Amino acid sequence: MVNKTLRLLASTSLVAMMVAGTAQADIKIGVLVPDSGPAGLFGPSTRNAAELAAQKINADGGINGEQIELVFADVGVPPAEAAQAALRLWKGEGVQAFVGMHDSAVREALLGRFNGQVPYVYTPVYEGGACADGLYVTGETPSQQLAPVIPYLMDVENVSKWYLIGHDYNWPRDTNALAKGYIDEAGGEVVGEEYLPFSVAEFDSSLQRIKTSGADAVLITLVGGGSVGFNVSFSGFGMDTQAIRLGTLIEENTLAGIGANNTKRLFSTSGYFSSIKGEAAATFATDYAEAFGADAPALNTLGQSSYEGLMLLDALAEKAGSLDVVAMDAAAEGLTWTTPRGENTLTGRHMAQTIYLADGSSGAFEVVTSFASVASSESCSN
Amino acid sequence: MTVLILNLIWQISTLALVALGLAIVFGKLRIMNMAHGEFVMIGAYAPVITSSLGLPMWLQLPVCLVTVALVALFLERTIIQHLYGRMFDSLLATWGIAILLREVVELLFGRGYQSVKVPIAGTVDVFGTQYPLYRIVVVFVILVCFGALAWWNRRSKVATQIKAMVGNPELAQAVGINTERLSAAAFVFGCCTAGMAGLLLAPTIRIEPVMGIDYLIRSFFALVVGGLGSLEGLGLGVTLIAGTQSVIGAFASQTYGYLAVLTLSILFLWLKPDGIRSSSR
Repeated sequence: MVNKTLRLLASTSLVAMMVAGTAQADIKIGVLVPDSGPAGLFGPSTRNAAELAAQKINADGGINGEQIELVFADVGVPPAEAAQAALRLWKGEGVQAFVGMHDSAVREALLGRFNGQVPYVYTPVYEGGACADGLYVTGETPSQQLAPVIPYLMDVENVSKWYLIGHDYNWPRDTNALAKGYIDEAGGEVVGEEYLPFSVAEFDSSLQRIKTSGADAVLITLVGGGSVGFNVSFSGFGMDTQAIRLGTLIEENTLAGIGANNTKRLFSTSGYFSSIKGEAAATFATDYAEAFGADAPALNTLGQSSYEGLMLLDALAEKAGSLDVVAMDAAAEGLTWTTPRGENTLTGRHMAQTIYLADGSSGAFEVVTSFASVASSESCSN
Repeated sequence: MTVLILNLIWQISTLALVALGLAIVFGKLRIMNMAHGEFVMIGAYAPVITSSLGLPMWLQLPVCLVTVALVALFLERTIIQHLYGRMFDSLLATWGIAILLREVVELLFGRGYQSVKVPIAGTVDVFGTQYPLYRIVVVFVILVCFGALAWWNRRSKVATQIKAMVGNPELAQAVGINTERLSAAAFVFGCCTAGMAGLLLAPTIRIEPVMGIDYLIRSFFALVVGGLGSLEGLGLGVTLIAGTQSVIGAFASQTYGYLAVLTLSILFLWLKPDGIRSSSR
């Protein structure tokens, strides 16, 4: 509680400073970030990236000529509470659009309240399947992360026997359902599939199963601390010589927790890494370091996604000429814009984007290859 | 099969060291220490402290013990000493302490994960299967520690004195037991064993401010099953809890393993609330 209050104070003073620095804001945008709860680790980087986006949008003349102001709410809480917090921003503070970085349960609760009345950009990596009026998605879906990457790795790393391991909820299960198809198409086979409860903190028996399965590749959809613990044990048992590892949510914080000694042949697929090359990405990283200092929370795909979300909102509202949902829905299909991630296109309300495959062997992500304009298999019609 | 047995030995011995501190503080002093896991966490952060200060590796153990001991002593003198004999109050107070400790660590080191380099890398061949060398060394260290503890426990009167102190503080004082010093020492010792468990486990686990809760829960399960107040009870408890998770986790799935642990704990709380062994009642 103390923590929350402190954070709230810190964030309000930040917002106050930003507002003081700019002209009177015309448009309020609600940014929904996890300050607490399991994704709380990503709260600070998400806030920072959103601040940067707002600065950039305002410096470029705002949205349709109107300056924007960000209003934050903590959605690292149960869905019903998160929906209440968003409702307060919308009805109470006059927020005209939302950008959210949170789990799917919160998204569904928000959609129930928003009911297509307010534009809402959903930004984190997610399992797919979200369609609603006024909803636009920038996060990577499993098809984007895996369709190009699985055949590439099977070819380059010469692997074919996959073991799928994840936490027991819908994101890992949906990801693996798609992965099986891609593995099959590329001529590989799935030699094992396992889902662990979040309460499990030791992975000995799973590692033993992977070992006896003869797998030469492991697809990891464990999240957060579970992923760290699993990967540490994986290398401890020397299994990194038996199999490569591919994660769809191993970002910079998770990699740091795994530690450079335990990351041999560990790959990650994502729409963003702090180390991706390219002018926009480099400028973004420099701006981030300048604005928030060298000790700022590490950039990662989840935190950075709030920047992507605000940029999509900007581009779409400019094309539609307003923040009206009907106009934005009509303008959505085929919208193109450029961000640190690269060239993006909105297709079926999801963001076709560049997908990067990075190797974490050195303890830091080095991009091995990238796949431009990867569209999601998720598609919502107008 | 060899790996299963080795894993079993690893799980049981590490849980025994993790739960030992709680067995002392909860079992002997009757302080329901909800901050137990946080002392494991602080111990695991010791290598993070030494590496961030640029200290050599051999200082990890002294830094761990000194940090944990100072924190434990401070808390005992300021808060815990007022709570002896008030078990429910101690639960609430130590829950608050746990939150405080997490926040302090988060303030110092951030919310993110830390990694600790394994001091002894590599695997060794054990009956034809590769097993991490570090784990084997740790198991031996824990065995030696418990051996020493059992030997000391048999010779020393401290255990009896603590029992007397908790049972009747006034009488204990009257027969010349310095209860203040004894209780503080027992609390600090218990916390230090938790810190040492954290230090030993650090290269094999995730390290973050909120990691303590896992260790608290498993320790409580072990004490519920084994019973409070004796090393034998602790041994039986950790064997049943860690063994159930490992064996069922290996032959069925981790989900069933955890389910079995929960079922076991509930059955014990319901049908045999004193656990298998309970010498102090």
